[in-house]
Amino acid sequence: MDFKKKNNTKIYTVSEINSLIKAVLADILPEKLVVKGEISNWKHHSSGHCYFSLKDENAVLNCVMWSSDFRLVKFKPADGVAVFASGFIDVYEPQGKYQLYVEKLEPAGVGALQLAFEQLVKRLAAEGFFDENHKRPLPPYPQRIGILTSESGAAIGDIVHSITTRWPCVRLFLYPVPVQGEGAAEEIAEAIRDVNRRNKELKLDLLIVGRGGGSLEDLWAFNEEVLARAIYNSKIPIISAVGHEYDTTIADLVADKRAATPTKAGVVAVPDVKEVQEQLNYIENRIVSEIKWKIQSYNEELRNILVSPVFKRPKSLVQNAQQRVDELGSRMEQYLKNKLLTAQKKLHEVYDKVIRIEPHRFLGKLFVELNNMQNRANTAIQGALSKRRMQFTAQENRLAGLNPKSVLQRGYSITTNAKTGFLIRKKDDIEIGDLIITELAQENLIESKVTKK
Amino acid sequence: MAKNDAKSDITKMSFEEAIKELTGIVSKIEEGEISLQDSLSQYERGMALIKQCRTILQQAEKRIEKISQEKEAEENENK
Repeated sequence: MDFKKKNNTKIYTVSEINSLIKAVLADILPEKLVVKGEISNWKHHSSGHCYFSLKDENAVLNCVMWSSDFRLVKFKPADGVAVFASGFIDVYEPQGKYQLYVEKLEPAGVGALQLAFEQLVKRLAAEGFFDENHKRPLPPYPQRIGILTSESGAAIGDIVHSITTRWPCVRLFLYPVPVQGEGAAEEIAEAIRDVNRRNKELKLDLLIVGRGGGSLEDLWAFNEEVLARAIYNSKIPIISAVGHEYDTTIADLVADKRAATPTKAGVVAVPDVKEVQEQLNYIENRIVSEIKWKIQSYNEELRNILVSPVFKRPKSLVQNAQQRVDELGSRMEQYLKNKLLTAQKKLHEVYDKVIRIEPHRFLGKLFVELNNMQNRANTAIQGALSKRRMQFTAQENRLAGLNPKSVLQRGYSITTNAKTGFLIRKKDDIEIGDLIITELAQENLIESKVTKK
Repeated sequence: MAKNDAKSDITKMSFEEAIKELTGIVSKIEEGEISLQDSLSQYERGMALIKQCRTILQQAEKRIEKISQEKEAEENENK
Protein backbone atom coordinates (compact mmCIF):
# COMPACT_ATOMS: atom_id res chain seq x y z
CA MET A 1 0.00 0.00 0.00
CA ASP A 2 1.20 3.45 -0.62
CA PHE A 3 -0.27 5.92 1.82
CA LYS A 4 1.47 8.89 0.28
CA LYS A 5 0.00 8.38 -3.13
CA LYS A 6 -3.47 7.05 -2.41
CA ASN A 7 -4.54 9.28 0.44
CA ASN A 8 -3.27 12.58 1.28
CA THR A 9 -2.74 11.51 4.90
CA LYS A 10 -0.03 13.17 6.95
CA ILE A 11 2.72 10.79 7.85
CA TYR A 12 4.36 11.34 11.27
CA THR A 13 7.71 10.16 12.38
CA VAL A 14 7.89 8.41 15.77
CA SER A 15 9.67 11.39 17.23
CA GLU A 16 7.04 13.72 15.89
CA ILE A 17 4.18 11.74 17.37
CA ASN A 18 5.87 11.41 20.75
CA SER A 19 6.59 15.11 20.95
CA LEU A 20 3.01 15.83 19.88
CA ILE A 21 1.70 13.67 22.70
CA LYS A 22 4.06 15.43 25.06
CA ALA A 23 2.65 18.77 23.97
CA VAL A 24 -0.96 17.62 24.26
CA LEU A 25 -0.38 16.23 27.72
CA ALA A 26 1.37 19.35 28.86
CA ASP A 27 -1.54 21.34 27.54
CA ILE A 28 -4.26 19.39 29.31
CA LEU A 29 -2.75 18.20 32.56
CA PRO A 30 -2.14 20.52 35.48
CA GLU A 31 1.44 21.59 35.92
CA LYS A 32 1.58 20.06 39.43
CA LEU A 33 -0.49 17.14 40.64
CA VAL A 34 -0.69 14.70 43.52
CA VAL A 35 -1.30 10.97 42.92
CA LYS A 36 -2.32 8.46 45.55
CA GLY A 37 -1.20 4.88 45.09
CA GLU A 38 0.76 1.93 46.35
CA ILE A 39 4.43 1.63 45.53
CA SER A 40 5.40 -1.33 43.44
CA ASN A 41 8.57 -2.46 41.66
CA TRP A 42 10.64 -0.10 43.77
CA LYS A 43 14.17 0.20 42.42
CA HIS A 44 16.77 2.44 43.93
CA HIS A 45 19.30 2.58 41.09
CA SER A 46 23.02 2.85 41.85
CA SER A 47 22.90 6.30 40.24
CA GLY A 48 20.76 7.36 43.18
CA HIS A 49 17.64 7.85 41.07
CA CYS A 50 14.55 5.87 41.90
CA TYR A 51 12.34 4.03 39.46
CA PHE A 52 9.06 2.54 40.53
CA SER A 53 5.39 2.48 39.83
CA LEU A 54 2.26 3.47 41.64
CA LYS A 55 -0.78 1.31 41.44
CA ASP A 56 -4.26 0.75 42.65
CA GLU A 57 -6.59 -2.22 42.07
CA ASN A 58 -6.90 -1.60 38.35
CA ALA A 59 -4.01 0.41 37.02
CA VAL A 60 -0.32 1.11 37.14
CA LEU A 61 1.56 4.39 36.67
CA ASN A 62 5.31 4.51 36.02
CA CYS A 63 7.26 6.91 38.21
CA VAL A 64 10.72 8.44 38.40
CA MET A 65 12.23 10.29 41.31
CA TRP A 66 15.58 11.98 40.92
CA SER A 67 18.18 11.48 43.59
CA SER A 68 18.17 15.22 44.43
CA ASP A 69 14.46 14.94 45.33
CA PHE A 70 14.72 11.52 46.90
CA ARG A 71 17.35 12.74 49.36
CA LEU A 72 14.63 14.77 51.07
CA VAL A 73 12.28 11.82 51.59
CA LYS A 74 12.16 10.93 55.29
CA PHE A 75 10.68 7.40 55.21
CA LYS A 76 11.89 4.31 53.41
CA PRO A 77 9.70 3.63 50.42
CA ALA A 78 9.16 -0.03 49.58
CA ASP A 79 6.80 -2.21 47.66
CA GLY A 80 3.30 -2.19 49.04
CA VAL A 81 3.62 1.15 50.78
CA ALA A 82 0.76 3.51 50.02
CA VAL A 83 1.95 7.02 49.22
CA PHE A 84 0.98 10.46 48.05
CA ALA A 85 3.33 11.35 45.20
CA SER A 86 3.41 14.93 43.98
CA GLY A 87 5.08 16.03 40.75
CA PHE A 88 4.22 16.31 37.08
CA ILE A 89 3.42 13.99 34.21
CA ASP A 90 5.64 14.02 31.19
CA VAL A 91 6.46 11.80 28.26
CA TYR A 92 9.77 10.03 28.11
CA GLU A 93 10.18 10.27 24.41
CA PRO A 94 12.96 7.67 23.81
CA GLN A 95 10.65 4.95 25.12
CA GLY A 96 7.36 6.48 24.23
CA LYS A 97 6.00 6.24 27.71
CA TYR A 98 4.58 8.77 29.98
CA GLN A 99 5.56 8.85 33.62
CA LEU A 100 5.12 10.74 36.81
CA TYR A 101 8.17 12.76 37.77
CA VAL A 102 7.89 12.64 41.54
CA GLU A 103 9.25 15.57 43.49
CA LYS A 104 7.72 14.79 46.85
CA LEU A 105 6.76 11.50 48.38
CA GLU A 106 4.71 11.00 51.51
CA PRO A 107 3.39 7.79 53.09
CA ALA A 108 -0.38 7.31 53.09
CA GLY A 109 -0.73 4.44 55.49
CA VAL A 110 -0.12 0.80 54.74
CA GLY A 111 -0.92 -0.44 51.26
CA ALA A 112 -3.79 -2.80 50.70
CA LEU A 113 -1.67 -5.80 49.66
CA GLN A 114 0.68 -5.22 52.57
CA LEU A 115 -2.29 -5.09 54.88
CA ALA A 116 -3.68 -8.31 53.43
CA PHE A 117 -0.28 -9.94 53.92
CA GLU A 118 -0.05 -8.90 57.53
CA GLN A 119 -3.56 -10.04 58.28
CA LEU A 120 -2.94 -13.44 56.72
CA VAL A 121 0.33 -13.85 58.61
CA LYS A 122 -1.51 -13.17 61.85
CA ARG A 123 -4.28 -15.64 61.06
CA LEU A 124 -1.99 -18.46 59.93
CA ALA A 125 0.32 -17.92 62.89
CA ALA A 126 -2.66 -18.37 65.20
CA GLU A 127 -3.40 -21.67 63.43
CA GLY A 128 0.14 -22.82 64.07
CA PHE A 129 1.28 -22.72 60.46
CA PHE A 130 4.69 -21.30 61.34
CA ASP A 131 5.36 -23.47 64.39
CA GLU A 132 8.88 -24.82 64.48
CA ASN A 133 7.73 -28.18 65.79
CA HIS A 134 5.56 -28.72 62.75
CA LYS A 135 8.51 -28.31 60.41
CA ARG A 136 9.62 -31.54 58.79
CA PRO A 137 13.33 -32.30 58.90
CA LEU A 138 15.07 -32.20 55.53
CA PRO A 139 16.70 -35.39 54.25
CA PRO A 140 20.46 -35.14 54.76
CA TYR A 141 21.31 -36.68 51.39
CA PRO A 142 18.41 -36.09 48.98
CA GLN A 143 18.25 -38.41 45.99
CA ARG A 144 15.17 -37.20 44.19
CA ILE A 145 14.16 -33.57 44.39
CA GLY A 146 11.00 -32.17 42.89
CA ILE A 147 11.15 -28.55 41.74
CA LEU A 148 7.90 -26.67 41.41
CA THR A 149 8.42 -23.51 39.40
CA SER A 150 7.88 -21.96 36.01
CA GLU A 151 9.49 -23.81 33.15
CA SER A 152 10.43 -20.58 31.43
CA GLY A 153 11.53 -18.51 34.43
CA ALA A 154 15.08 -17.77 35.50
CA ALA A 155 14.56 -19.55 38.81
CA ILE A 156 14.64 -23.09 37.41
CA GLY A 157 18.15 -22.59 35.99
CA ASP A 158 19.36 -21.04 39.23
CA ILE A 159 17.91 -23.78 41.39
CA VAL A 160 19.21 -26.62 39.20
CA HIS A 161 22.66 -25.08 38.96
CA SER A 162 22.90 -24.43 42.70
CA ILE A 163 21.97 -28.04 43.43
CA THR A 164 23.99 -29.91 40.83
CA THR A 165 27.25 -28.06 41.48
CA ARG A 166 27.09 -29.17 45.11
CA TRP A 167 25.39 -32.52 44.76
CA PRO A 168 25.60 -33.94 41.24
CA CYS A 169 24.28 -37.35 42.16
CA VAL A 170 20.71 -36.20 42.60
CA ARG A 171 17.81 -36.68 40.24
CA LEU A 172 15.78 -33.57 39.64
CA PHE A 173 12.18 -33.49 38.62
CA LEU A 174 10.62 -30.33 37.29
CA TYR A 175 6.94 -29.83 37.85
CA PRO A 176 6.09 -26.80 35.70
CA VAL A 177 3.64 -24.41 37.30
CA PRO A 178 2.74 -20.78 36.70
CA VAL A 179 4.30 -18.64 39.41
CA GLN A 180 2.37 -15.43 39.02
CA GLY A 181 -0.98 -14.16 37.92
CA GLU A 182 -4.52 -15.25 38.45
CA GLY A 183 -4.85 -18.83 39.71
CA ALA A 184 -1.09 -19.40 40.07
CA ALA A 185 -1.33 -20.03 43.81
CA GLU A 186 -4.08 -22.60 43.32
CA GLU A 187 -2.05 -24.37 40.62
CA ILE A 188 1.08 -24.52 42.74
CA ALA A 189 -0.97 -25.77 45.67
CA GLU A 190 -2.55 -28.45 43.49
CA ALA A 191 0.88 -29.44 42.20
CA ILE A 192 2.07 -29.95 45.79
CA ARG A 193 -0.98 -32.06 46.59
CA ASP A 194 -0.57 -33.98 43.31
CA VAL A 195 3.07 -34.81 44.01
CA ASN A 196 2.21 -35.94 47.54
CA ARG A 197 -0.51 -38.20 46.19
CA ARG A 198 1.80 -39.76 43.60
CA ASN A 199 4.87 -39.97 45.77
CA LYS A 200 4.76 -43.74 46.07
CA GLU A 201 5.95 -43.87 42.46
CA LEU A 202 7.71 -40.51 42.28
CA LYS A 203 9.68 -41.20 45.50
CA LEU A 204 10.64 -37.55 45.91
CA ASP A 205 12.38 -36.86 49.19
CA LEU A 206 12.33 -33.09 48.92
CA LEU A 207 10.37 -30.37 47.15
CA ILE A 208 11.53 -26.90 46.21
CA VAL A 209 8.88 -24.29 45.48
CA GLY A 210 10.07 -21.00 44.11
CA ARG A 211 10.45 -18.27 41.60
CA GLY A 212 12.74 -15.34 40.89
CA GLY A 213 12.43 -11.83 42.21
CA GLY A 214 9.62 -9.50 41.28
CA SER A 215 7.19 -6.99 42.58
CA LEU A 216 4.94 -7.69 45.50
CA GLU A 217 2.16 -8.48 43.02
CA ASP A 218 4.44 -10.79 41.09
CA LEU A 219 5.22 -12.72 44.23
CA TRP A 220 1.67 -12.58 45.47
CA ALA A 221 0.87 -16.18 44.63
CA PHE A 222 3.32 -17.15 47.36
CA ASN A 223 1.37 -15.10 49.86
CA GLU A 224 -1.94 -16.81 49.31
CA GLU A 225 -3.61 -18.96 51.86
CA VAL A 226 -4.34 -21.84 49.50
CA LEU A 227 -0.63 -22.33 48.85
CA ALA A 228 0.22 -21.93 52.53
CA ARG A 229 -2.19 -24.75 53.38
CA ALA A 230 -0.79 -27.02 50.68
CA ILE A 231 2.74 -26.47 51.97
CA TYR A 232 1.63 -26.99 55.56
CA ASN A 233 -0.09 -30.28 54.72
CA SER A 234 2.63 -31.72 52.50
CA LYS A 235 4.17 -34.97 53.71
CA ILE A 236 7.28 -34.31 51.64
CA PRO A 237 9.54 -31.62 53.15
CA ILE A 238 9.41 -28.33 51.27
CA ILE A 239 11.99 -25.61 50.75
CA SER A 240 10.78 -22.23 49.59
CA ALA A 241 13.00 -20.21 47.29
CA VAL A 242 11.14 -17.07 46.39
CA GLY A 243 12.35 -13.69 45.14
CA HIS A 244 15.18 -11.73 46.65
CA GLU A 245 16.82 -11.82 50.05
CA TYR A 246 14.57 -9.15 51.46
CA ASP A 247 11.29 -10.59 50.18
CA THR A 248 9.60 -12.67 52.78
CA THR A 249 6.48 -14.43 51.62
CA ILE A 250 4.02 -16.52 53.58
CA ALA A 251 5.29 -19.55 51.67
CA ASP A 252 8.72 -18.82 53.18
CA LEU A 253 7.23 -18.77 56.67
CA VAL A 254 5.28 -22.01 56.27
CA ALA A 255 7.97 -23.97 54.41
CA ASP A 256 10.17 -26.36 56.36
CA LYS A 257 13.24 -24.38 55.30
CA ARG A 258 13.65 -21.15 53.42
CA ALA A 259 16.23 -20.41 50.77
CA ALA A 260 16.58 -16.64 50.50
CA THR A 261 16.81 -16.84 46.72
CA PRO A 262 16.57 -19.57 44.08
CA THR A 263 20.38 -19.49 43.72
CA LYS A 264 20.67 -20.40 47.39
CA ALA A 265 18.31 -23.36 47.14
CA GLY A 266 21.20 -25.78 46.64
CA VAL A 267 22.97 -24.76 49.84
CA VAL A 268 19.82 -25.34 51.82
CA ALA A 269 18.69 -28.49 50.02
CA VAL A 270 21.77 -30.61 49.49
CA PRO A 271 25.15 -31.31 51.07
CA ASP A 272 28.41 -30.47 49.38
CA VAL A 273 29.66 -33.55 47.58
CA LYS A 274 33.27 -32.63 48.39
CA GLU A 275 32.57 -32.58 52.09
CA VAL A 276 30.72 -35.88 51.86
CA GLN A 277 33.62 -37.41 49.92
CA GLU A 278 35.97 -36.22 52.63
CA GLN A 279 33.73 -37.68 55.27
CA LEU A 280 33.72 -40.98 53.39
CA ASN A 281 37.51 -40.95 53.16
CA TYR A 282 37.66 -40.28 56.85
CA ILE A 283 35.34 -43.18 57.60
CA GLU A 284 37.33 -45.41 55.29
CA ASN A 285 40.58 -44.50 57.03
CA ARG A 286 39.05 -45.17 60.39
CA ILE A 287 37.73 -48.57 59.38
CA VAL A 288 40.98 -49.58 57.71
CA SER A 289 43.22 -48.41 60.54
CA GLU A 290 40.92 -49.91 63.12
CA ILE A 291 40.94 -53.32 61.48
CA LYS A 292 44.69 -53.15 60.92
CA TRP A 293 45.22 -52.29 64.52
CA LYS A 294 42.92 -55.09 65.56
CA ILE A 295 44.73 -57.69 63.48
CA GLN A 296 48.06 -56.44 64.71
CA SER A 297 47.00 -56.64 68.32
CA TYR A 298 45.64 -60.15 67.79
CA ASN A 299 48.95 -61.08 66.19
CA GLU A 300 50.82 -59.72 69.14
CA GLU A 301 48.60 -61.59 71.51
CA LEU A 302 49.24 -64.79 69.57
CA ARG A 303 52.99 -64.18 69.67
CA ASN A 304 52.82 -63.64 73.40
CA ILE A 305 50.96 -66.89 73.81
CA LEU A 306 53.47 -68.79 71.69
CA VAL A 307 56.45 -67.58 73.69
CA SER A 308 54.78 -68.46 76.95
CA PRO A 309 56.50 -71.34 78.91
CA VAL A 310 53.57 -73.62 78.23
CA PHE A 311 54.44 -73.83 74.58
CA LYS A 312 58.19 -73.46 75.01
CA ARG A 313 58.72 -76.17 77.68
CA PRO A 314 55.52 -78.18 77.91
CA LYS A 315 57.19 -80.54 80.45
CA SER A 316 57.70 -77.70 82.83
CA LEU A 317 54.00 -77.73 83.46
CA VAL A 318 54.19 -81.21 84.99
CA GLN A 319 57.45 -80.43 86.67
CA ASN A 320 56.06 -77.37 88.21
CA ALA A 321 53.09 -79.33 89.41
CA GLN A 322 55.42 -81.96 90.89
CA GLN A 323 57.35 -79.27 92.66
CA ARG A 324 54.18 -77.85 93.95
CA VAL A 325 53.04 -81.22 95.29
CA ASP A 326 56.39 -81.71 97.04
CA GLU A 327 56.21 -78.31 98.47
CA LEU A 328 52.74 -78.93 99.80
CA GLY A 329 53.81 -82.30 101.21
CA SER A 330 56.63 -80.85 103.20
CA ARG A 331 54.51 -78.04 104.36
CA MET A 332 51.91 -80.48 105.59
CA GLU A 333 54.58 -82.48 107.44
CA GLN A 334 55.94 -79.37 109.03
CA TYR A 335 52.51 -78.39 110.07
CA LEU A 336 51.82 -81.71 111.76
CA LYS A 337 55.13 -81.59 113.55
CA ASN A 338 54.38 -78.20 114.89
CA LYS A 339 51.01 -79.31 116.02
CA LEU A 340 52.46 -82.25 117.92
CA LEU A 341 55.07 -80.09 119.56
CA THR A 342 52.46 -77.66 120.69
CA ALA A 343 50.37 -80.43 122.18
CA GLN A 344 53.36 -81.82 124.06
CA LYS A 345 54.24 -78.45 125.38
CA LYS A 346 50.72 -77.98 126.57
CA LEU A 347 50.78 -81.33 128.34
CA HIS A 348 53.98 -80.40 130.18
CA GLU A 349 52.48 -77.18 131.29
CA VAL A 350 49.41 -78.90 132.68
CA TYR A 351 51.58 -81.54 134.42
CA ASP A 352 53.66 -78.82 136.05
CA LYS A 353 50.56 -77.17 137.34
CA VAL A 354 49.30 -80.46 138.76
CA ILE A 355 52.65 -81.10 140.46
CA ARG A 356 52.63 -77.70 142.00
CA ILE A 357 49.32 -78.53 143.70
CA GLU A 358 51.19 -81.41 145.73
CA PRO A 359 48.36 -83.91 146.02
CA HIS A 360 50.06 -86.20 148.55
CA ARG A 361 50.49 -83.39 151.02
CA PHE A 362 46.97 -82.31 150.46
CA LEU A 363 45.77 -85.86 151.04
CA GLY A 364 47.83 -86.32 154.24
CA LYS A 365 46.21 -83.31 155.77
CA LEU A 366 42.85 -84.74 154.87
CA PHE A 367 43.80 -88.06 156.48
CA VAL A 368 44.78 -86.40 159.74
CA GLU A 369 41.53 -84.56 159.81
CA LEU A 370 39.67 -87.72 159.04
CA ASN A 371 41.42 -89.55 161.94
CA ASN A 372 40.56 -86.82 164.33
CA MET A 373 36.98 -86.96 163.31
CA GLN A 374 36.98 -90.71 163.69
CA ASN A 375 38.51 -90.47 167.21
CA ARG A 376 36.00 -87.87 168.20
CA ALA A 377 33.19 -90.02 166.93
CA ASN A 378 34.56 -93.08 168.77
CA THR A 379 34.91 -91.24 172.05
CA ALA A 380 31.42 -89.87 171.72
CA ILE A 381 29.99 -93.29 171.03
CA GLN A 382 32.01 -94.85 173.93
CA GLY A 383 30.78 -92.17 176.31
CA ALA A 384 27.20 -92.68 175.28
CA LEU A 385 27.53 -96.43 175.57
CA SER A 386 29.08 -96.46 179.08
CA LYS A 387 26.47 -93.97 180.23
CA ARG A 388 23.72 -96.29 179.08
CA ARG A 389 25.52 -99.29 180.60
CA MET A 390 25.77 -97.59 183.94
CA GLN A 391 22.10 -96.64 183.83
CA PHE A 392 21.30 -100.22 183.05
CA THR A 393 23.48 -101.57 185.91
CA ALA A 394 21.79 -99.21 188.32
CA GLN A 395 18.42 -100.49 187.30
CA GLU A 396 19.68 -104.05 187.67
CA ASN A 397 21.02 -103.31 191.10
CA ARG A 398 17.75 -101.83 192.15
CA LEU A 399 15.98 -104.93 190.95
CA ALA A 400 18.46 -107.24 192.73
CA GLY A 401 18.00 -105.20 195.85
CA LEU A 402 14.33 -105.90 195.78
CA ASN A 403 14.81 -109.66 195.87
CA PRO A 404 18.46 -110.40 196.29
CA LYS A 405 18.24 -114.13 195.80
CA SER A 406 16.06 -114.10 192.81
CA VAL A 407 18.14 -111.41 191.46
CA LEU A 408 21.19 -113.60 192.06
CA GLN A 409 19.47 -116.29 190.06
CA ARG A 410 19.33 -113.99 187.12
CA GLY A 411 23.16 -113.65 187.33
CA TYR A 412 23.50 -110.69 189.61
CA SER A 413 25.90 -110.79 192.62
CA ILE A 414 26.11 -109.14 195.94
CA THR A 415 29.30 -107.33 196.70
CA THR A 416 30.44 -106.76 200.20
CA ASN A 417 33.48 -105.18 201.74
CA ALA A 418 35.54 -108.05 202.94
CA LYS A 419 36.98 -105.96 205.76
CA THR A 420 33.65 -104.62 207.04
CA GLY A 421 31.31 -107.23 205.78
CA PHE A 422 28.86 -104.50 204.62
CA LEU A 423 27.24 -104.31 201.21
CA ILE A 424 28.91 -101.90 199.02
CA ARG A 425 26.34 -99.36 198.04
CA LYS A 426 28.42 -96.40 197.25
CA LYS A 427 32.03 -95.37 196.48
CA ASP A 428 32.69 -94.37 199.96
CA ASP A 429 31.88 -97.92 201.08
CA ILE A 430 35.19 -99.13 199.68
CA GLU A 431 38.83 -97.98 199.42
CA ILE A 432 41.42 -98.80 196.84
CA GLY A 433 43.26 -101.88 197.92
CA ASP A 434 40.25 -103.20 199.81
CA LEU A 435 39.07 -106.70 199.14
CA ILE A 436 35.62 -107.23 197.73
CA ILE A 437 33.62 -110.34 198.21
CA THR A 438 31.16 -111.12 195.52
CA GLU A 439 28.39 -113.46 196.34
CA LEU A 440 26.80 -115.33 193.40
CA ALA A 441 23.60 -117.29 193.16
CA GLN A 442 25.36 -120.65 193.59
CA GLU A 443 26.75 -119.37 196.86
CA ASN A 444 30.13 -119.12 195.35
CA LEU A 445 32.22 -116.34 196.71
CA ILE A 446 34.70 -114.43 194.66
CA GLU A 447 37.26 -112.30 196.28
CA SER A 448 38.68 -109.34 194.32
CA LYS A 449 40.77 -106.35 194.97
CA VAL A 450 39.74 -102.78 194.25
CA THR A 451 42.30 -101.22 192.02
CA LYS A 452 40.41 -98.25 190.85
CA LYS A 453 37.34 -96.30 191.69
CA MET B 1 24.86 -67.15 49.46
CA ALA B 2 23.87 -64.88 52.25
CA LYS B 3 26.88 -62.79 51.39
CA ASN B 4 25.73 -62.28 47.81
CA ASP B 5 22.32 -61.28 49.02
CA ALA B 6 23.88 -58.78 51.36
CA LYS B 7 25.98 -57.39 48.54
CA SER B 8 23.04 -56.95 46.19
CA ASP B 9 21.25 -55.32 49.13
CA ILE B 10 23.99 -52.74 49.32
CA THR B 11 23.72 -51.77 45.66
CA LYS B 12 20.04 -51.13 46.21
CA MET B 13 20.65 -48.97 49.25
CA SER B 14 20.11 -45.23 49.21
CA PHE B 15 23.01 -43.02 50.16
CA GLU B 16 21.36 -42.16 53.42
CA GLU B 17 20.86 -45.80 54.41
CA ALA B 18 24.42 -46.66 53.42
CA ILE B 19 25.93 -43.78 55.40
CA LYS B 20 23.79 -44.64 58.40
CA GLU B 21 24.88 -48.27 58.41
CA LEU B 22 28.46 -47.26 57.78
CA THR B 23 28.50 -44.99 60.80
CA GLY B 24 27.09 -47.83 62.87
CA ILE B 25 29.79 -50.20 61.61
CA VAL B 26 32.59 -47.78 62.43
CA SER B 27 31.45 -47.32 65.98
CA LYS B 28 30.87 -51.06 66.39
CA ILE B 29 34.39 -51.87 65.22
CA GLU B 30 35.85 -49.06 67.29
CA GLU B 31 34.11 -50.16 70.44
CA GLY B 32 36.08 -53.38 70.05
CA GLU B 33 33.41 -55.52 71.63
CA ILE B 34 32.89 -57.77 68.65
CA SER B 35 34.95 -60.79 67.73
CA LEU B 36 37.71 -60.67 65.14
CA GLN B 37 35.54 -62.71 62.80
CA ASP B 38 32.68 -60.27 63.17
CA SER B 39 34.86 -57.23 62.82
CA LEU B 40 36.35 -58.63 59.63
CA SER B 41 32.93 -59.21 58.12
CA GLN B 42 31.84 -55.79 59.33
CA TYR B 43 34.95 -54.37 57.74
CA GLU B 44 34.12 -56.03 54.43
CA ARG B 45 30.59 -54.72 54.57
CA GLY B 46 31.85 -51.26 55.52
CA MET B 47 34.13 -51.18 52.49
CA ALA B 48 31.27 -52.31 50.26
CA LEU B 49 29.09 -49.56 51.70
CA ILE B 50 31.80 -46.98 51.08
CA LYS B 51 32.02 -48.18 47.50
CA GLN B 52 28.27 -47.89 47.14
CA CYS B 53 28.32 -44.34 48.56
CA ARG B 54 31.06 -43.35 46.14
CA THR B 55 29.18 -44.91 43.25
CA ILE B 56 26.09 -42.92 44.15
CA LEU B 57 28.13 -39.73 44.47
CA GLN B 58 29.73 -40.28 41.09
CA GLN B 59 26.42 -40.69 39.32
CA ALA B 60 26.14 -37.19 37.96
CA GLU B 61 22.75 -37.44 36.42
CA LYS B 62 22.43 -33.81 35.42
CA ARG B 63 19.23 -34.50 33.66
CA ILE B 64 16.01 -33.00 34.65
CA GLU B 65 13.00 -35.12 34.24
CA LYS B 66 9.71 -33.43 33.84
CA ILE B 67 6.74 -34.51 35.82
CA SER B 68 3.48 -32.91 35.11
CA GLN B 69 0.01 -32.97 36.30
CA GLU B 70 -2.79 -35.13 35.07
CA LYS B 71 -2.63 -37.95 32.65
CA GLU B 72 0.29 -37.10 30.40
CA ALA B 73 2.89 -38.38 32.82
CA GLU B 74 1.01 -41.54 33.56
CA GLU B 75 0.49 -42.20 29.87
CA ASN B 76 4.18 -41.78 29.27
CA GLU B 77 4.93 -44.20 32.06
CA ASN B 78 2.54 -46.71 30.62
CA LYS B 79 4.27 -46.54 27.25
